[in-house]
Amino acid sequence: MLEMNPAPVLVEDMIALTQRLYHEARLLDAERFEDWLELLCDDVTYRMDLKRRRFRADRSPPAAVGAGVVFNENIARLKLRIDRLRSGYVWAEDPPNFVRRVISNVEIEPADAENEVIVHSVIVIHRNRIDGLARQFTAGRTDRWRHGTQGWCLAARDIALDHAVLPDSNINVFF
Amino acid sequence: MDVSDLVDTTTGRQKRTIYSNEELYKQELERIFGRCWLFLVHTSQIPKAGDYFRTFMGEDDVIVIRQKDGSIKAFLNSCTHRGNRICRADRGNAKAFTCNYHGWSFAPDGSLAGVPLENEAYFGELDRSKLGLVQVTHVAEYKGLVFGCFDPDAPSLEDYLGDAKFFLDVWLDAMPGGTSLLGETQKMELGSNWKLPVENVCGDGYHLGWAHAGAMSAVQSMDLAGLSVGNSSTNLEGGLSVAGMNGHMALTSLDGISGYAFYPEPKPMMDYLEANRPTAIERLGKVRGEQLWGSQINITIFPNLQFLPGLNWFRVYHPKGPGKLEQWTWAMVENDMPDEMQAAILDNQCLTFGLAGLFDNDDGDNLAACTEQSRGWRTAQMDVFTNMALGRSGPRDGFPGDIAAGLVSEHNQRYFYRRWQEHMQAESWAEVPTYNINSLSVEEPENA
Repeated sequence: MLEMNPAPVLVEDMIALTQRLYHEARLLDAERFEDWLELLCDDVTYRMDLKRRRFRADRSPPAAVGAGVVFNENIARLKLRIDRLRSGYVWAEDPPNFVRRVISNVEIEPADAENEVIVHSVIVIHRNRIDGLARQFTAGRTDRWRHGTQGWCLAARDIALDHAVLPDSNINVFF
Repeated sequence: MDVSDLVDTTTGRQKRTIYSNEELYKQELERIFGRCWLFLVHTSQIPKAGDYFRTFMGEDDVIVIRQKDGSIKAFLNSCTHRGNRICRADRGNAKAFTCNYHGWSFAPDGSLAGVPLENEAYFGELDRSKLGLVQVTHVAEYKGLVFGCFDPDAPSLEDYLGDAKFFLDVWLDAMPGGTSLLGETQKMELGSNWKLPVENVCGDGYHLGWAHAGAMSAVQSMDLAGLSVGNSSTNLEGGLSVAGMNGHMALTSLDGISGYAFYPEPKPMMDYLEANRPTAIERLGKVRGEQLWGSQINITIFPNLQFLPGLNWFRVYHPKGPGKLEQWTWAMVENDMPDEMQAAILDNQCLTFGLAGLFDNDDGDNLAACTEQSRGWRTAQMDVFTNMALGRSGPRDGFPGDIAAGLVSEHNQRYFYRRWQEHMQAESWAEVPTYNINSLSVEEPENA
């Protein structure tokens, strides 16, 4: 467990980072992917691991080669996904779906590096696709944001998806 | 329900009602999922005594458990007292399964081990020996793949698989170390009839260049038997659509490398294939060792198991009503592959055919829409067609099965629906035909 550093996070940082999360959500809702990429550090890591659903008392070891992932992306992989979405051939996204992100439970704490902070948040993504088909993804996020000359950039995002079975036929969205 | 007019394999026609009719669906649960051998688990997923894995046979919830003696048994995941589910975890290791409702406890061998207040409330009159978990009638393994079957009159698993073993062995038996499935189960809910994804993967090379055009244009390394973005070209010489093996199918390229040539960093994969090619040839013979091992292959075991050496995903579809299914996927590896290669395969499988798979994410909406467009009063009466390359199949030297050239053909789908119809019409296994068309009378060198 991460130890809470007694040094408080500055109020202006809290405001700036919370605003950044909201801004990010609005960019993604509007499919402004290139503008979103501007908010990411060049060495960003973007992960969503597959979760285990085991009994609490279960002591079976984790999988040797790994549990597998939903996302395990660096900047190049994120760009690859954006290339696909921008290709004009992703038929499931045309007409564009109604997508809205709700960001909540924002909590900021200091990180080990002086110019970084840890930001916890919850994201709910609503999508209305064909006709009345509405689906919702809920996930928790633990981010590391880094402050540089361009302001805050996202250095790492770990996403915990709260669904044992994905309730939709694709994840053509970013969390 | 009579299904004789719902499928016509001579013209490649299906009535759309087969994707939406409730009565037909119940008949499928009885005559297909209640009768066929169904994939349960890979031995690598339950290596030790007490290891268990929860899965489905049709809509029946099943726990598969490794026994103390190393054998594998499967049971209905349902308490014999009031029917409650006794295991709510996906998998793990357990010494017992205790029902949440009244605390009845079952041992890994299925026996009823404990009943609270057995003497006080039942006055010691409960015959525990008759109240063990209900066992799946047959459980058998084929080279790491464990199957279960509810029907006491079913043929043996080996006979059920028939000549599909020719292709199964390209994955399961090319290397001495065997195979494994990796990681947690990647589960997705689709608003599709279960037959549509099976039929899509068993033979539909036609959709690749169109449905997946977005991913293919982004992932430049993708080249499958000359298929190109926008379906602008294909190469009929590069692959085979193989069917007529008891309802099982294969779709394969023939170059011996294309499965792994897709990878973002194919070099270590190519090195592995080169280093181990002689072993594969020794174990499988020249045709399979040279042309199939390392190729992109889609293998379908009727009714709901598919795996793709090369892209290395392994999948079952669990029906959840006529218009819904759960798709379960894992990455698959040969155990002789070095750890880094296994990790790269797992990562690439998740990237391409995982829950956010660049390719996989293109299919769901098409299959769901085909399902929905079979539900209307008028559309339910309509036909759909798998009539491409009709009458253009035959034998091919060195391969079993009825074979059509190329990956773009609807040859395999016709055989899928033929098998569906054969099962749906049959009252029992005795009425289900067995056929292995163009069976190879003389096997390639036997080494296994």
